[in-house]
Amino acid sequence: MTAMPVVSARRRRSDLVARGLLATAAIVALIPLVLVLFYLVKKGAGALSGTFFSSDPTGAFLGNQGGVKSAILGTIELVALATAIAVPLGVGVALYLTEYGRDKPFAKVVRYFVDVMTGVPSIVFGLFIYITLVLTGVSGTGFAGWKGSVALALLMLPVVTRASEVVLLLVPESLREAALALGAPRWRVVARVVLPTALPGIVTGTLLAVARAAGETAPLLFTSAIVNGTNFNLNERTNSLPIQIFNDITQPNNQLVERAWGAALTLVLMILLLTLVARLVSRRSRLT
Amino acid sequence: MEARSLELRGGRSLLERSPLSGIGDKILRWVLTALAAGILALIAFFFIRLYVEAKPAFDRFGIFGFTFDNNWDVSRQIFGALPLVVGTLITSAVALLIGVPVAVGTALYVTEFAPRPIRAVLSFTIELLAAFPSVVLGLWGVYVLIPKLKPAEQWFSDTFSFLPFVGGPVAGPNYFIGGLLLAIMLIPIVTAISREVISTVPAEHKEAALALGATRWEMIKMAVLPYSRAGITGAAMLGLGRAIGETIAVTLVIGNAPQIGKQLFDQGYTLAAVIANEFGEAASDPVHRAALIAAGLVLFVLTLAVNAIARLLVNRGVHGRRATKEAAPA
Amino acid sequence: MKSRQWLAMAAASVLAIGVAACGSSNNDNAGSTGGGGGKSSGTADGAGSTFAAPIYQQWGSTLKGDGATINYQPVGSGAGIAQLTAGTVAFAGSDPPMKPEEISAAKKKGDPVHIPVAFGAITVSYNLSGVKSGLKLDGATIADIFLGKVKKWNDPEIAKLNPGTSLPSSNITVIHRSDESGTTKGFTDFLQSYSSEWKSKVGSDKTVKWPTGTGAKGNDGVAAAIKQTAGSIGYVEQAYALQNNFTTADVKNQSGKFVAPSLESTTAAGEGVKVPSNLQFTIINSPNPAAYPIASQTFLIVYKDDCKAGVLKKADAPALGTFLNYAVGQGQSVLGQLQYAKLPSAIQTKAQDAVKGLQCNGSPLGGSA
Repeated sequence: MTAMPVVSARRRRSDLVARGLLATAAIVALIPLVLVLFYLVKKGAGALSGTFFSSDPTGAFLGNQGGVKSAILGTIELVALATAIAVPLGVGVALYLTEYGRDKPFAKVVRYFVDVMTGVPSIVFGLFIYITLVLTGVSGTGFAGWKGSVALALLMLPVVTRASEVVLLLVPESLREAALALGAPRWRVVARVVLPTALPGIVTGTLLAVARAAGETAPLLFTSAIVNGTNFNLNERTNSLPIQIFNDITQPNNQLVERAWGAALTLVLMILLLTLVARLVSRRSRLT
Repeated sequence: MEARSLELRGGRSLLERSPLSGIGDKILRWVLTALAAGILALIAFFFIRLYVEAKPAFDRFGIFGFTFDNNWDVSRQIFGALPLVVGTLITSAVALLIGVPVAVGTALYVTEFAPRPIRAVLSFTIELLAAFPSVVLGLWGVYVLIPKLKPAEQWFSDTFSFLPFVGGPVAGPNYFIGGLLLAIMLIPIVTAISREVISTVPAEHKEAALALGATRWEMIKMAVLPYSRAGITGAAMLGLGRAIGETIAVTLVIGNAPQIGKQLFDQGYTLAAVIANEFGEAASDPVHRAALIAAGLVLFVLTLAVNAIARLLVNRGVHGRRATKEAAPA
Repeated sequence: MKSRQWLAMAAASVLAIGVAACGSSNNDNAGSTGGGGGKSSGTADGAGSTFAAPIYQQWGSTLKGDGATINYQPVGSGAGIAQLTAGTVAFAGSDPPMKPEEISAAKKKGDPVHIPVAFGAITVSYNLSGVKSGLKLDGATIADIFLGKVKKWNDPEIAKLNPGTSLPSSNITVIHRSDESGTTKGFTDFLQSYSSEWKSKVGSDKTVKWPTGTGAKGNDGVAAAIKQTAGSIGYVEQAYALQNNFTTADVKNQSGKFVAPSLESTTAAGEGVKVPSNLQFTIINSPNPAAYPIASQTFLIVYKDDCKAGVLKKADAPALGTFLNYAVGQGQSVLGQLQYAKLPSAIQTKAQDAVKGLQCNGSPLGGSA
């Protein structure tokens, strides 16, 4: 048996140091998570109750202030619609960039501007929709839930696109070539080979975008507004959790402030639940 | 293999595709290209519309005057955005410097070193950070970070005052806390995507390095990092985007002073924060409103510039190393 | 894999159906199907002042029982006026009266009418251990503090006004607003009438270039900053000072008296102020000897004929009418509990007359009193 090359002390040391540093990085990343979660539970758990989830905010300052039912349902509606808009568009553009565009100048331009769009503040998207959709009174109303969804979709789109593209690029060329060699048309290769292989990554990107969109206030302030009461007509003003939190947390009334923290905790738990479910559903073996 | 077995009735080969299947491909190509073009058109429309709304401000101050004048005085109707631009750059730089190494380190740890059972739990937990609404993180920053970190910041400022941009009295809300919050916000994004990227490094590359006698860390340096470099950069871009554009959390912890702070722990202002703070009341004043939209536009252009520079830097590194066909292009 | 996909889709559709079913049973909350009959039915949307938001939301929830749905978005006085001018709301809430430019912009749709509804005190709150509430300060001293000229608590300027109090030698940390606000306008209005240096250097507006101090967003942000910083001083609305148990200063008014912020001294600020016929007035630095000088008014602004201006549908007119009648009538009795001062009777009568004069497409606005 040939002897294994001896690992010098110096190399072993740097290996250990590296391991230590990386583990530290992971711990550092976890610290704010634990602290914030702890703080959130401390401030918001007290507000959670049956009525909290089952009654609408009454808008009252004194007396019975109600719960946040309309906000919860509103968030689900608005984010679901935004996801339905952003994900097909985003994955579609990512597919274009990886399958057809590659290094062509047009694709480079698209990729560049999509990157730039990730840096636009959410409030600017809200303003843009305000100027183009709300002020002009499209579909007969000023503020409307679906307009808020469009603003959120604009926010999600670059994230979904870029994350999907990164993952789609990692699908090995050999896999594609094998499928093509078997005589499958391009669209079949995409639908049956490329997308399913990249699915976990696409789900990751989508979840990140959804988490972001669910917690954003600024785009909704100018587009969907607030309403105290459950409202399913997305063509009218719709309440949502971030707006509810934003409104309540600045009030000089401790019960309203507590309700706001309860709503924040609820939002985080909802996203947690969604992430869990999505991960379970899309679990596939990794490429290696 | 006999040619006969590949023939169908009518002399067609089994391997020949029916004419119809070509249509599927054409449709797919057409639809996807239209989508990409549509996105570009949307962005162009976005840019133009905002420019039209911002024009009154540019007319009054000139494009360079608006961007580079160091004087944002609302009551006197003077709008020079330099302190905002500087604030945006400083907080984003701090966020990247803190956030990206932590995020990539975490991703590496989770994929390479963490014991199998806790791998999924750990990565899931980190992504949970993304679930916090920005207003919640901002408020946590106000009520917890600012008071708790102040003594440490003061100590740092006093001990390291020989460094440039350090030293002097520490303001409660300041650039550093803004940058720190942004780092916390970009960590989940960069970690999650880096993790995806790193986990797709082909096993053969890693095994080859290990077979040559490399230690674990050396294997990472030789096999994992070069392969994932472009993907990690993509992740960092997304993180940067988040940092530059974050509005509410930063507004709550940066102090909102329209000045260029002299040191890291001074108060400042960012382009996104000024829009959040002032848009409500400015809506009825045409010049002020135009100035705020112009600030949004400046932010847009800033992101354009930063992205272009980052691309240049990465491409220079990647081109030299592309060896295998399976390496991901930038 | 495929079965898992079907499972996911099934779960999603069940969730969607559940949510929709859950919602449809509560449909009577939305829209103009009023429960209390036609007298108050409808939906009126408003936006504006954050200062007055608790009031309008409280009133709105009370009136819901009568069938009126009032939606109010606290986005700031300026935004409220902008939305009224743009036609996306039926009424605006604003602390300062409209500026001439805002009025001429609004005139394109109709005549804007100001209806005063409440007053509130802007307290000067401080966090100074050992010093109780009631530190005496006057306009010039406060201006000097906010200018950064007076840096320590035991400065002779402050000590002169408070001979019996022992003041610590710690530094003063000034806390001010970073966002635009009618509260800032009221506060700076007060400062500039007592300090010519403030007037020339800084001026008065919804947001100004503060010479010194830390900026925080919103009343709640300033309150949090004051709470966390020992030796700090800042200006916050009465409700926030009470919520946080702040110690507040007694401020010298025009007649030379040092007055503490309270509901009575705030209402007194409204008495004795000359009120023009268009009801566009401010009560800052009121001449009344019993007045707290840093008190602010807040208005509801509508068009004289909201329907003709296109901001209100005829079916929703009763809701708005009820809301406005309630605002200047029965609603005043709730203000005290919310820590706002009610209108003095002379102004209340003028406000009620203004509401009576409102119309919808030529006929009276309607709604129950």
